[in-house]
Parts: sequence; C-alpha cells; structure tokens
Amino acid sequence: MVPITYYLLLAAALFCMGMFGVLVRRNALVVFMSVELMLNAANLTFVSFARMRGDDLGHVSAFFVIAVAAAEAAIGLAIVIAVFRSRGSVLLEDLRTMKH
Amino acid sequence: MTLVEFFRAAPVAPDILAPSLWLIIALPLLGAFITGVFGKMMGRANVQLVACAAVAGSFVLSLLAFWATSHHNPETGRLAAIFPNPFGIERDFVRYALAYDYGTWFSVGDFRVNFGLMVDHLSGILLLIITGVGFLIHLYSTSYMEHDAAYWRFFAYLNLFVAAMLTLVLADNLILLFVGWEGVGMASYLLIGFWYDDPAKAWAGRKAFVTNRIGDFAFLVGTFLLVLLVSAFTQQSNAADYSNAGTTAQHYTAALEQKGPVTFKGLEKMAEGLVDGSADKVDLSTPIEAGPLEGYTFGGVMTVAMLLFLLGAAGKSAQLPLYVWLPDAMAGPTPVSALIHAATMVTAGVYLFSRMSALLVLSPTAMATIAIIGALTSLLAALIAFAQDDIKKVLAYSTVSQLGIMFMGVGMGIFWAAVFHLMTHAFFKACLFLGAGSVMHGNGDETDIKKLGGLRKEMPWTWATFLVATLAITGIIPLSGFFSKDAILHGVHHNHLQGLEWVSSLVYYLGLLIAASTAFYMTRVYLLTFEGPRSKEARVAHAHESAWQMTLPLVVLAVLSVVAARYAFGIDFFNMTAQPVLDNFLSPVFSATKRITEASTLVALDTSRPQVVPDYLKAWAVALTGGGAAAFLYLRYFPSRVGQPDPAFIRAVRPLALNKFYVDELYELIVIRPVKFMSFLLFRVVDALVIDTVAVRGTAWVTARVGSALRYVQSGDAQAYAAVMAIALLGGMAYALIQVMQ
Repeated sequence: MVPITYYLLLAAALFCMGMFGVLVRRNALVVFMSVELMLNAANLTFVSFARMRGDDLGHVSAFFVIAVAAAEAAIGLAIVIAVFRSRGSVLLEDLRTMKH
Repeated sequence: MTLVEFFRAAPVAPDILAPSLWLIIALPLLGAFITGVFGKMMGRANVQLVACAAVAGSFVLSLLAFWATSHHNPETGRLAAIFPNPFGIERDFVRYALAYDYGTWFSVGDFRVNFGLMVDHLSGILLLIITGVGFLIHLYSTSYMEHDAAYWRFFAYLNLFVAAMLTLVLADNLILLFVGWEGVGMASYLLIGFWYDDPAKAWAGRKAFVTNRIGDFAFLVGTFLLVLLVSAFTQQSNAADYSNAGTTAQHYTAALEQKGPVTFKGLEKMAEGLVDGSADKVDLSTPIEAGPLEGYTFGGVMTVAMLLFLLGAAGKSAQLPLYVWLPDAMAGPTPVSALIHAATMVTAGVYLFSRMSALLVLSPTAMATIAIIGALTSLLAALIAFAQDDIKKVLAYSTVSQLGIMFMGVGMGIFWAAVFHLMTHAFFKACLFLGAGSVMHGNGDETDIKKLGGLRKEMPWTWATFLVATLAITGIIPLSGFFSKDAILHGVHHNHLQGLEWVSSLVYYLGLLIAASTAFYMTRVYLLTFEGPRSKEARVAHAHESAWQMTLPLVVLAVLSVVAARYAFGIDFFNMTAQPVLDNFLSPVFSATKRITEASTLVALDTSRPQVVPDYLKAWAVALTGGGAAAFLYLRYFPSRVGQPDPAFIRAVRPLALNKFYVDELYELIVIRPVKFMSFLLFRVVDALVIDTVAVRGTAWVTARVGSALRYVQSGDAQAYAAVMAIALLGGMAYALIQVMQ
C-alpha cells in the first residue's frame, strides 16, 4: 500500500501548481482552470485522510467540494462571458477597476 | 359660636383633605403648563385668567389645609389634625398637622425617599403667604405687564415658581424640599433674565444662578452628612438613647425602612436621641465607630452639617458671602422682585432652619455663626442702602438686611419671631416693591429717586400704602414690623448659647444699629420719592395713578402689614406677660426643639415678653433717631444747601456706600478673575490644544497621511492582491508550524 505521505505530497504539488497559475497567468479562463486544480488538490487531501482514518467524513467533504466547484464553475464562466461581452477581453491586466 | 370654635371647625376634615394635598402643588404647575405651551394662542385675557385662577385655587386649598390643622372633632371636641409619628412609639402623635405619603419616590439600597407632604402650623403660614401674596402679585402683574408681548411666558414662569415654592414648604423630607429649592432657583433665574435681550439683565440671571449653585452644593453635602449620621446613630445607639427620643429601636428602624433617613420627623427624633442622658450610649461627644465619618464625634459632624446648610441658605437667602446676586436680581420685572426676591423665595433659608430647629439647637457654634453672619450681612446691606439712588436697589439691600435680621433670630434660637418677621416682611416688603413698581409704572419707568419727588398728591393710593409699609419696616409702634423686629431683638438679647455668651450682646447691639440704619434709609427713600417738590429732571410732567389691579394688592398688603401685629400679643390682648399668639401657635412645630433645649445645657431659651418700659421705648427711640436723622438731612439740610458742595465727611463716605463697599470688585478680584484665568488655561491648553488639535485633528491627520501613502499599494490588479494573500497565508502557516514544532 502506498503510504499517505505520497498522496499528500502530490496534493501539495497540485495545489502549488494551481496557486502559481492563479498568480501569474494572464488569461482569466486559465486562472479559472488553476482554481479548479487547487480545489481538486484539496479533494485529494480529504480523500487520503478518509482512507487513513477509515471513515466517510472525508468522502462527504470531497463530494461537497465537488458540488460547490460545479456551482462555482457555472457562475464563474458566466462572469467571464459577461466581462468579455462588455470589454472585449478576458486578460486580467485589462481588468484593473479595483483601484481607489 | 365663639371665634375659637369657628377656627376649630374646619370645613373639610383633615383626614379627607390630606390625600388631596398634592393638588396645592399641581394647580400652579398645570397653570404653568397651560400658559407656557398654549399661552401664545390663548390670548392675553385667557392667560391672565388661567394663571390667576391656578394660584387662587391653590390659595383656597391652602386655606382649607391651614384651617384643617387646627380642626377639632365636632363630636368629641378632641383634636383631629393628628397623625401617628412613624418614628415614634404607638402613642406618639404629631399634633396640629396633616400629612400624606404618596409612596416611594426612589430607593437605592437602604436609602429611600418618599413623596410625602406635610402641613403643620409652620408650613401652613408659609402656604398662605406664598399663595396669598402670590395671588395678589399675579393680579398686580395683569396690569403691570399689560404692554409686554411675552406676557404668557411671564405668567408661565410665575406659576412655575409658585408650584416649586409650594413643593419646598410642603415637603416632609430634605430631598423633596431640595427639589423645590432647585425649582425656585430655576424660576428665579428665568424671571431675572426675563428681558433676556438686554445683556445686563441676562447676566444678572446668570449671576443669581451660579451663586445659588454654590449654596446648593453645600446643601447637598450637608444632606449626605445627615444621612451618614442617621446610619451611625442606628448602629451605635442603645435602648436608653431611643427612650430619650420617646421611641424604641424597632419603631425607629422600621420607620427608617419605610420612610427613609431624610424625613424631618426622623431627624427630630435622632436629635432628641443625641441629647446627653445618664444611661445612654450616644451623645454629642461620642465618636462615630465605623463608616466614612469614623473617628469624628456626632456633635462635630452635626456642626459641620449645619454650617453647610448655612452656606446653602446663604445662597438662597442672600447672606454673606453669597448675597451679591440679590441686588442684581432687580433686573427682573418688579412683581418678580416683590414675590420671589422679597416675600417668598429668599426666606427659604429661614424656613429651612426653622424646620430643622431641633438639629440646629444641638450646635451652639453653628447657631452663633448663623447669628453673626446674619448681623454682619444686615449691617453691611443697610449701610449700602444709605447711598443707593435706584428705588429698587434700596429695597433690594433692605431685603438683604431684613433677611439678616431673620437669620439673627434663627441663629439665636428665637424661631417663632424669625417666622413672624418672615411673615410681616412678606407683607410690607411686597407692598414696598409693588409700590415701587407702581411709581415706575406711573413715571415712565423712572427708578432714580432723585428724579422723582412730590408724588404724594399725584399717586394717593401708592403714597398711602408706601407710607404704611415704610412705617412698618422702620418699626413705628402700632405696626407689625415693630413687633416682629423687637421680638427678634429681645430674644437675641435674652437667649444664651453655651460657651458663646458674648454673641448675644454683640448681635443685640448690632441689631439696634441695624434698626436705626433701616429707619434712616427707608425714610430717605420715602421722602425723596413722595415728599418735597417734583424733581426738575422728572421724565414725565405728571405721574398717573395705577389701575385698580395694581392698587388693590397694595391696599390689601398695607392692611395686612398693620393687622399682623396682633400676633405679637397674647390671646388676652392686655396681658403683657402672656405668651404671644404666634409663639403659642407655632409651639407644636418647635416642641422637639423645646424638649432638647430643656434637656440639655447647650442653649438657654428665654420666654419672657418685651415690655413697654424699657424694651418698646428703647426700640422706638432707636427707630425715631434713624428716621429723624434722615428727615433732618433730606428735608432741611440738603434742600437748604442746593448748589453748594457736600460736607467733607459725606464726600468721603458716600462713594464707599454708593459702590457697595467694593464687594463686587473684591469678588471680581479674588474669585472671578482666578476662575476666568483657570478657564482660559483650560480652554486654550486643554481644550483647544490637547483635545482639539492633538487628539481630534491629529487622529484625522495621521489617518489621512497613512491613507495617502498606502493608496499606491492598491493597484487594482486582482492577481497582486491574491499574491499578497498567499504570502500572508504562507507566513501564517510557517508561524503556526514553528509554534507546533516547539
């Protein structure tokens, strides 16, 4: 059996990749995908701990995150489309309206 | 039916009347509300009707209450106006009084104040003076204020004053009395500054208010000392102390729980308990064992409390060192001067000490201080009155002087005479003030007596009443002022305070000097105003007599100041050794005081009557000397020297008296300037610099600086924000990890 450490390291690596993507990519859609990557890294962590503890709590949490992620994807993509329609671009550097 | 039977059969029995006592206060209060809120739309006649009717109704109720205090049960013929003293044992009754307790006003811990009202012979007299003279002055004001646009405000304030003053005299405890005490102060402030668009008058109102506040503060501290004294007494006393006071520990503490520690009846019982007995544990020299006053003796604390009440009374009754507000209070309308600043409010101090006479006689030191303060105030005010040319100012200083005489009486323990002088003074001084108002009304508001003169023919009613009142205050023999003043001086001369025997002689001889001075300045005012030729500088060529609303009160007051003299004689008129009527009438009020003075050696009260030879002759000679000197100077001496400069000694003395012995200037130098300087410091340094500049504007400045520096961080780039969040999270996690590892 593969020890839990490996699963956790993989999840950490995925999370870091996702976070890196969120912080540096210019395209909103790619940033969005990176967020999904982070969520799934978290899911992996939940499931690994569930396996280690041998109960269903982690599985429940993972399903919960998946449901939230689906809803988030629907709203997030709708926002990206709306932004594109109004501004003709989905590049994050063009969307600097959160200034003072 | 004899006269005595008539007065013993009250139309309303005391037990029926007692629950309605609150109406006496409520009627003028309602009048104040109606005239104050709706007065502007009601019109002049309606406002006058409401205001006068409220006080008249109150007068009728007061009359019924006063009558009821002497009521006898028609079937048994026994006294009906009695109620069980809650602080005494079952058979201990307060006689010739009716009272009603409307329940708890507030209670904190074991401290409790009830809304209790009481009418006995002392407060009954005051009730009649306040509502009776008050009604006459309301009537007078309807004519006096006929040209004033703010008539409704005037009547609202006047009614408010009457309500507050009635609260003061009806209260059965110190705290409720203090409510009235403050209420009359406020009404006085409002009425002195009635014409507030004149800055000098607004200032006079403020001066009165601030001066009174100083006294009120002392009053409150005195009250607190008495509360502490009561609790110390209940802790330390034994059965003998209570039996000295005619009560038991159970009854006394039960009544304290029910009525609170500040009722006058409870304080009287404590005072009786403090008298030295053989088997008792607590008397005046006993140190207090516990509490904030630990180590001080009962007698010492009592003296301090009485001296604090003296300061409080000095503020309200215009005595040294707080008398300076009263002469300036003449800025208000003249009826106000007559009602508040002569007849009623300023006598509150005399009433307070008469009400608490049982406590006062425990402290000869405090009594001597009161008497000396009264004598000095009286003399100083009389000397200032010599040189004042404003008719109202002369009367104001005369009021201060007469109040000083009442304080002499209270201080030397001749309480009934002080109350008697209070009563006669209310009549003749109100008459004098209203007469002065009538003179002003008929002469284009001229107040300078040097520019009046010769009004005898032109204002006959005003002249006649003013003359009667002048003779009364001067002390000419058949008038009331003579007897009241003489009763005080006689009592002052014959009463003795233990260890302070010299005080009675000192105060007595000062009193004779004051009597001569009074005669001098009153004669001067009368002569310059009414006799001689009309002044060439007169404002109007011919004065006109005032309307009946103004002359009727004058006549009533003049008659009262004559007939009040009856109270100085015995019930049997020709028996010159019998107890005076008023002394007899007030004896139930001062019964505890009498028991204390008989049981202790602190104060020796004399009960002899002044005799025709030598007392009356001496007093008459003194009054005639003063009046004669004034008559000589102002009828012969000065008119014959018109155009010549005054003699040197007059030129030397006159400016001193004219400028009121520079007391106002002295206060300016030692009180007002330092306070103003301190206020200036506080304003400039603490308020303007520390609070405004550093604290308030400094905070805003720092926030603005920090904000304008930090705004460059806010680029609008969502990824930059996310990066900051990520780094912060990382840092937080690193910190948490380090903590866990350790």
